[in-house]
Amino acid sequence: MQSIGDQIRAHLPYQRRNAASLALLAFAMVLTLSAFAEVGLARDGNIPGGLFVYGGGLAVLAFIAYLIQAKFTPYADPLLLPLAVALNGIGLAMIYRLDLDTSHDRKVAAAAGKKLLPDAADAPGQLMWTFIGIALFVGAVMIMRDTDKPDAPLSFTPKTAQRYTYLIGLTAVVLLLLPIVPGIGAEINGARVWIHLGPFSVQPGEFAKLLLVVFFAGYLVNKRQAMSLIGKKVGPISLPRARDLGPIMVIWFFCLGVLFMQKDLGTALLFFGLFVSMLYIATQRVSWVVIGVGLLSVGIFIATLLPFMGHVNQRIDIWQNPKPYFDGGCLLESGKVVPVNPDTTIYKKYKAQGTISPGFSACAELGGEYSDSAQLMKGLFALGQGGVLGTGLGQGEPWRTPLSFSDFIFDSLGEELGLTGLMVLLLIYALIVQRGMKTAVAARDPFLKLFAGGVSFVLALQVFVIVGGVTRLIPLTGLTTPFLSQGGSSLMANWILIAILVRMSHDARKPAPQAIQDEGMTQIVSTR
Amino acid sequence: MNMDKPVRRVAIFALLLFFGLMAQVNYVQGSQAEDLRTDARNSRQYADVFNSPRGQISAGGEVLVTSKETGKDNPKYGRTYKDGAVFAPITGYFNGNATQVERAYNSLLGGKDTRITQQRWFDTFIGKKAEGANVELTIDPQAQRTAYEQLKAGTAQGRRGGAVVIDVKTGAVKVAASWPSFDPNEVAPQTGEKGGKRLEQLDKGDGVVKPLVDNALSQTFPPGSSFKAVVSAIGMQKLGLNSSSTVDTGQLILPESGRPLPNSHDTGNCGGAAPLRGAFAESCNTSFAKMALSMGIQELHDGATRFGFGKHVQLEPDMYAAESDVPVSIKDAKGNTIETGKDGTARSGIGQENVRATPLQMALVACSIANDGKIMNPYVVQKVRAKDQSELYNASPKEFGEAMSGDQAGQLEDMMRAVVSEGTAKNLAGRRIAGKTGTAEQGPGNPNANWFVGFSPVENPRYAFAVMVEAPGSGAANAGPVAAAIMAKVLQK
Repeated sequence: MQSIGDQIRAHLPYQRRNAASLALLAFAMVLTLSAFAEVGLARDGNIPGGLFVYGGGLAVLAFIAYLIQAKFTPYADPLLLPLAVALNGIGLAMIYRLDLDTSHDRKVAAAAGKKLLPDAADAPGQLMWTFIGIALFVGAVMIMRDTDKPDAPLSFTPKTAQRYTYLIGLTAVVLLLLPIVPGIGAEINGARVWIHLGPFSVQPGEFAKLLLVVFFAGYLVNKRQAMSLIGKKVGPISLPRARDLGPIMVIWFFCLGVLFMQKDLGTALLFFGLFVSMLYIATQRVSWVVIGVGLLSVGIFIATLLPFMGHVNQRIDIWQNPKPYFDGGCLLESGKVVPVNPDTTIYKKYKAQGTISPGFSACAELGGEYSDSAQLMKGLFALGQGGVLGTGLGQGEPWRTPLSFSDFIFDSLGEELGLTGLMVLLLIYALIVQRGMKTAVAARDPFLKLFAGGVSFVLALQVFVIVGGVTRLIPLTGLTTPFLSQGGSSLMANWILIAILVRMSHDARKPAPQAIQDEGMTQIVSTR
Repeated sequence: MNMDKPVRRVAIFALLLFFGLMAQVNYVQGSQAEDLRTDARNSRQYADVFNSPRGQISAGGEVLVTSKETGKDNPKYGRTYKDGAVFAPITGYFNGNATQVERAYNSLLGGKDTRITQQRWFDTFIGKKAEGANVELTIDPQAQRTAYEQLKAGTAQGRRGGAVVIDVKTGAVKVAASWPSFDPNEVAPQTGEKGGKRLEQLDKGDGVVKPLVDNALSQTFPPGSSFKAVVSAIGMQKLGLNSSSTVDTGQLILPESGRPLPNSHDTGNCGGAAPLRGAFAESCNTSFAKMALSMGIQELHDGATRFGFGKHVQLEPDMYAAESDVPVSIKDAKGNTIETGKDGTARSGIGQENVRATPLQMALVACSIANDGKIMNPYVVQKVRAKDQSELYNASPKEFGEAMSGDQAGQLEDMMRAVVSEGTAKNLAGRRIAGKTGTAEQGPGNPNANWFVGFSPVENPRYAFAVMVEAPGSGAANAGPVAAAIMAKVLQK
């Protein structure tokens, strides 16, 4: 029986879809440029100067990326690049729009000799990172060669990574641990996921995400036969051997470590979900999913029991009922939530003492756990303000949402583009993911299959965790919204992700190499 | 072994994740949007005003609150209150936060309400902001001014006064005045940071005076003898009394402490026994304390609930009066429960102990007496019109509840007339009002809460009222004349 992959390949016309890609790219640019135009028209009644700098800059970059894609990976999936450009462009327009509103605050801060507000949108910075991100895409597409030409110069293919499985795995772990290292690591907005690199702040977790996909793929390709075939069958579920359980336990402990040390439930959730899904792809065994979900639940349950991890409990509490925590709530041991907001006496007392976080101190005195749901609620208020059609770009007040340009950019877009716009954004993400999955199915090599599948799924999971968080579908955890959020690490990592998918889709979709048959001239012997 | 099948399943799972997100976004932005927009914690709804002209608030054809362009960028529009302090208990203030009508009708005043946006959907579609609608109050502005002046004159230095007048047939609030008050102009958006500081200052207040909290709807006081109207009504229902039933007006020794509960005088009707009508007219404490004792605090509490005690009376959406209460038990500062004992029950029967009522609540009591037992739900907004004068809202009177039968109400009406004709408020004879006096002690060092609760005109009453002033003196001497002056103005129309 033909596999699905073979069936798909059999129907692939091996067409170059470069014209389609260009047309879609043009449409993505129309979207972006109209977004910039609308911001200007709504705010000042004219086309903004930023349109030419930002929109124009992005257009040139995207066109270069297209040319490189057409030259080096002519059979690549035509949708991936335009979809990524559309997301990047819309995100950039939103950040530009927020920058216009917050730049005043920053000027005031600068005049007062204070440092740039950490919570300010920075459109020039984002344009620079977009430039670097697309440059990385271009570079990656150019450097990575076709898998079947191993002896080509600079022979680096996605498959090369398989050779360095464990080294890459180790690198991922080191990257993840870097933020904890004193001196390099930095805590921004309450999450210790950053490191300082000269003038830049980098989130190494974004890159670790990609490296972990490579590691999982490499590891699982080697072990998948044993893991999927050997084991005792108990009822409908076949239990794995104890030695095969080892790796999943290691990853589990590792993710719990991330959760405890960095207090970052989102990243832990992301990695563990990624591992379980790739394990399932590799082995086809549902029992792994059951074991994985079970382990994760146990892990989270343990986290809620530990006294110093009270905030996990609280996250869940806030998710279910955010209102009592608005502007600061204190979860007492009895399970009651009392407000500790700027209006309360106990808050004022610590404020007067000059305590840095008066709410936290006030709550400590009451013997409870302090948290604030104002971010989540204000994000939801932004969504409510947007309603079905949105206020229109430039006509809402997205700056009222905290972190409106990073963690909560999805809510900012929801305010100005409305339900309609958000559905479009989610569809774009879903399309990228499904195109990636299609690439995985069409890939010929098992490692590449797992690689493409993992990369696509990690994107889906990341969107789910952050968007689900800011829309209160699941408890809120901080993650970047791929391509939309302000920030270099995220943009660079996700552009590399797209480059990998583009390269692999080209590999999967191009015609099989033709055997050299044109040996005619040497065979024919003149009889004359 | 091929991995295509699991990849496809994971792809479907990824799609399901996206469907989940889409469903949630639809839920939040589709069905939840209105709730989120009007959430009390949502400062957006109040901050928005600065950018678009907000609707006017008027009363009796007089425009009280307007928005004008400031000529500046932020705020683009200010808010001006005519006679701000006089009308503040109804209009509320508006700056970052809002209260009273400014808050209750925020979405209509700000032009965000679906009743406006649906009508002007094309404007919404092209991004043109709909203009705010104008709100017309039920308030009689002249009477409101009189009430404010009278309360100011009648209230002791550093103390409080409040007055409420309700149309008994509809529930429309004609007067809701408070002394002291504050001027919403001082904290309007155009005042900027200064306004914010002033707001903080007002919020703190001085002594018992909390300027931001009005004393008509939002503050409770011990109702004293005026509560005897409620006790009489419950007594008629539970003890089968009528206005001519003989009640014991003789001395009462409190069962727990053994101390006597005094009457103000032991002559006339309070001499030992009298018809209920007489005991009511002369306000004999002992008979009402005895009635309360024989019914018990729970009956008293339940009976008062029918008048509106025990809950926040809702005037408008998101505009509630403070909760009046006849507590069965209270919690002290440490959280311990203290039951209202027998002595407490006796004192509750004369509107003391822990019985608290807003002037609005006592006006509702009078409303039931003057309206055959029925209480109409009080409201302060009569009409809302869009900028093009089309009507978006028109108040329709609703029944709040029935506190007693028409016959019992008739008897109480007569008893209230007797208070003026032959009882404690003879000084008010000929001033077209009837009612019950109340002089509640508020502990050593504090002046009495003086009440006059009743209706006007004396025959065929159209309005119910309650007036409370904190001052040395009595309900008849202090609150009565204030009520008479207000009602004279109300009846001028």
